[in-house]
Amino acid sequence: MKTLLTIVTLLLVAMGNGPLSAQEKILPYPINQKQLANGLNVVTVTFDSPGLAAFYIVVRVGSRNEVEPGVTGFAHFFEHMMFRGTDTYPREKYNDVLKSIGAGANANTSLDRTIYHMTGDATKLETMFEIEADRFMNLNYTEHDFKTEAGAVKGEYTKNFASPYQQSYENTMNTAFDKHTYKHTTMGFIKDIIDMPNQYKYSLEFFNRYYRPEYSTIVVVGDVTPEKVNALAEKYFGMWKHGTYISVVPEEPKQDTTRYSHLQNGGIPPYLGLNYKGPAFSDSQIDMPALDVMCTILFSQTSELFKKLVITEQKVRQLSGGASDARDPNLISIDASLINKADMQYVKDEIVKTVEAFKVNGTDEDLLAKTKSRLKYSFAMGIDNPSAIANSLCAYITLTGDPESLNRLYAMYDKVTVADLKAVATKYFIPNGLTVSTISADAEGGVK
Amino acid sequence: MKTLLLTIVFAATMFAQDVVELKQPNSNKVVIKLMFRNGSITDPKGKEGLTSATANLITQGGTKEMTYSAIQEMIYPWAAGYYSQVDKEVSIFAFVVHVDFLDKFYPIMKGLMLTPAFAENDFQRVMKNQQNYVDQVIRASSDEEYSKKALEDLLFRGTNYQSMVQGKSEGVKNITLDDIKTHYAAMFTKNNLTIGIAGRYTDAFLKQLKTDVGMLSAAKPVLPKPGKAVMPKGIEVEIIAKDGAFGSAIFTGTPLAITRSSNDFAALMVANSYLGEHRKSYGQLYQKLREIRSMNYGDYSYIEWYNNGGGYMLPPSGVPRQSNYFALWIRPVQIAKQLHQQYEELKDIKIGHAHYSLRMAVREVDLLIKKGMTKEDFEATRTFLRSYIKLYVATPAEQLGYLMDSRFYGRKDYIKEMDNLLAKLTASDVNKAIKKYWRTDNMFVTIVTDRSEADELAKSLKENTPSPMSYSNIVKAGLPKEVLDEDDIVAIFPLNVKKVTIVDSKDTFK
Repeated sequence: MKTLLTIVTLLLVAMGNGPLSAQEKILPYPINQKQLANGLNVVTVTFDSPGLAAFYIVVRVGSRNEVEPGVTGFAHFFEHMMFRGTDTYPREKYNDVLKSIGAGANANTSLDRTIYHMTGDATKLETMFEIEADRFMNLNYTEHDFKTEAGAVKGEYTKNFASPYQQSYENTMNTAFDKHTYKHTTMGFIKDIIDMPNQYKYSLEFFNRYYRPEYSTIVVVGDVTPEKVNALAEKYFGMWKHGTYISVVPEEPKQDTTRYSHLQNGGIPPYLGLNYKGPAFSDSQIDMPALDVMCTILFSQTSELFKKLVITEQKVRQLSGGASDARDPNLISIDASLINKADMQYVKDEIVKTVEAFKVNGTDEDLLAKTKSRLKYSFAMGIDNPSAIANSLCAYITLTGDPESLNRLYAMYDKVTVADLKAVATKYFIPNGLTVSTISADAEGGVK
Repeated sequence: MKTLLLTIVFAATMFAQDVVELKQPNSNKVVIKLMFRNGSITDPKGKEGLTSATANLITQGGTKEMTYSAIQEMIYPWAAGYYSQVDKEVSIFAFVVHVDFLDKFYPIMKGLMLTPAFAENDFQRVMKNQQNYVDQVIRASSDEEYSKKALEDLLFRGTNYQSMVQGKSEGVKNITLDDIKTHYAAMFTKNNLTIGIAGRYTDAFLKQLKTDVGMLSAAKPVLPKPGKAVMPKGIEVEIIAKDGAFGSAIFTGTPLAITRSSNDFAALMVANSYLGEHRKSYGQLYQKLREIRSMNYGDYSYIEWYNNGGGYMLPPSGVPRQSNYFALWIRPVQIAKQLHQQYEELKDIKIGHAHYSLRMAVREVDLLIKKGMTKEDFEATRTFLRSYIKLYVATPAEQLGYLMDSRFYGRKDYIKEMDNLLAKLTASDVNKAIKKYWRTDNMFVTIVTDRSEADELAKSLKENTPSPMSYSNIVKAGLPKEVLDEDDIVAIFPLNVKKVTIVDSKDTFK
């Protein structure tokens, strides 16, 4: 009887509908991985979505890799160029095939990666493999196409620039970093965007360096089997040649004083951001999981600080905070949208006071347990379709190269102790690691 | 007598409770959506934004039993969530919880809907944010969203559809806590409610839910007739001038007689997808404006309201409407000031790309009306859509949402029914529908742009001045002859412009 019960329980867990506490891994579906001889990793997750499959390719190249001067924004620009066609599938033909698949297809770039994705009819999986393999190996665009596409990138920058928050983010990264390529955003510096049409030769070099199997992972989720996916990967990507380029990203020197970044704009509510230098992502060191837990405790809607500033005093409209997952050390950001700019210093002092108290007192075990529960349930409820699962896997492939990092991170959350929380608060929340960003109608930020 | 009869029929239908069920035994959660047939069109004059404020105060406030903070604390470890979404004609309250906590979560949900606290301090907080949205956020966050909201302000002027769902500055200022209490009792009732539920729940749970929402107000709301889009006299342009804009963000709109209720909608779906499928590179607009000429980030067309188009790749549910319009979205194009700085050879141009891109987009619609789609293009687009629309309902929450919206339009399952209609369509049906429903002579256009661009752009539009495309030399050098030839035609394409006004950003939505 006991065995039968165990089997039933296991089955339920495998289907993703058992109690979450009984699950060994946060993702209740097995992650099948196969590395081809050329170094390309192929990841398959079978998921109950009849007739539907998500096909993703993550290339571990983003604005982080833009190490040479004058070519910031290039990883993103190159993502645009990937839609400019090959000899076999020129742009129009590629579009026709995509249309015939009826898939939702697109791409996006961030600090550490570029993702190409299509979700659609699982019976069209082979076509998806064929057209993607073709452009990843045989991309061929004219210099004219290259120059023309630069205009669309400028158009994208123009659209984003309308948001003062985007402008402030650009300034903040530029201020917080000196040497590391996180200094510029994924869009790039405007002067480099303007110069993009002149960088055709560099674009060929870029493709040669990074669009290689060792930088890439294929992820397929949905109504598919690992056997089929692996066979298609071998058939279409097996001949992809391994490259030789090794990306070396400059290390950021230690920051030695608080920095300030201000944007004068009276059109939106006053804004205050406290950005502390944090650690790189790791699924084996406790720092990042501890910071996730700490920030959830201190800055979510149930936190004492939120209750004080937003609910009771109503000096702040919105408050949030968290550490950015990135391959190299990035920022831990606390953002506050204020009612009156006169309260800037007060709000900053309240945030700092809260963190300082946390360094000494930490939190109680009950809240720690509740926070761990929140993180897990929040993830578990989100993975209800193939694209959502593929996106989650890609996030961790980006960070470590291994999709199992997802399961390892959530296992690490269980290990976080109050002592760990106090330790990371003490280690990272220091004035010498801080960049204060502000937006207000004033010429200067006015926050010490 | 007729009105009375209608009211009785309406009430009788509602008494039987309108429920949309989507049982998913393998799911780990339950999604509940309560859709009230009550949106911003019921906002009283002078209190625009009241429906939104009422819904926000319910989901961002406490209950008679618990404060807002106490609720948040309780649901924190479960990561349960809920939100409200108000549109012109419906308001939705959505709740999501893992099955492990459904029983504990349910009393909170019940409290929010049946016994909201409507506390003064919650009211103050919620209203400050709503006031800020209508005063600042809409003008300063996204010029694209701004031009879209400004377009509705023109299209529906003088009707109950005109105001943004969040209201307008003076309207929001006038809303009192008593207004909210009254509006809640009068408009969020058991008689204008559709219950939607998806996921892993029991029949007993649903029975309890049905019984409990039966305790909502018994008032019988009388809904005003939704305002219809005004037919413009020629092309009427409103240029919104602001400081520091990098580009010109453009929206156009003209009344459209049909909605999802009509079987002709399937034909228009094909035409629209061919012309400008949202965030896809296949559309004619995208091809001509972005792909060949790289004028901006993208260009699309719409045959119904698309909520937060900048954020969503697929059309979200929960915004069904009876009043409709046909729209073109031209994402920000370059202004003269920017082009001057970037290219020496363009230092003498007086306007950027707004006039040219508008001509190009309108001409594409015009060509489609005159020439129609070819059989090949029709087949390819239909094939695409029959697969693509299934992605709209890839998540349980969206599947439920689409089924609920189907009821609004008098359909059972919109996605399935559209697929059937698409299967039967011919190219000729589509071309007939294009001719019947689309036009280019009468439309509203809103352009959010930099102050430096406004006067010259207005002059150019008003006088129908030729607007040759101003390429940089490096791009122009490689363009094939057929593109340059087409540019010459577009540059003088006549737009039926009858009115151009310049409005200062601070004076919009008044």
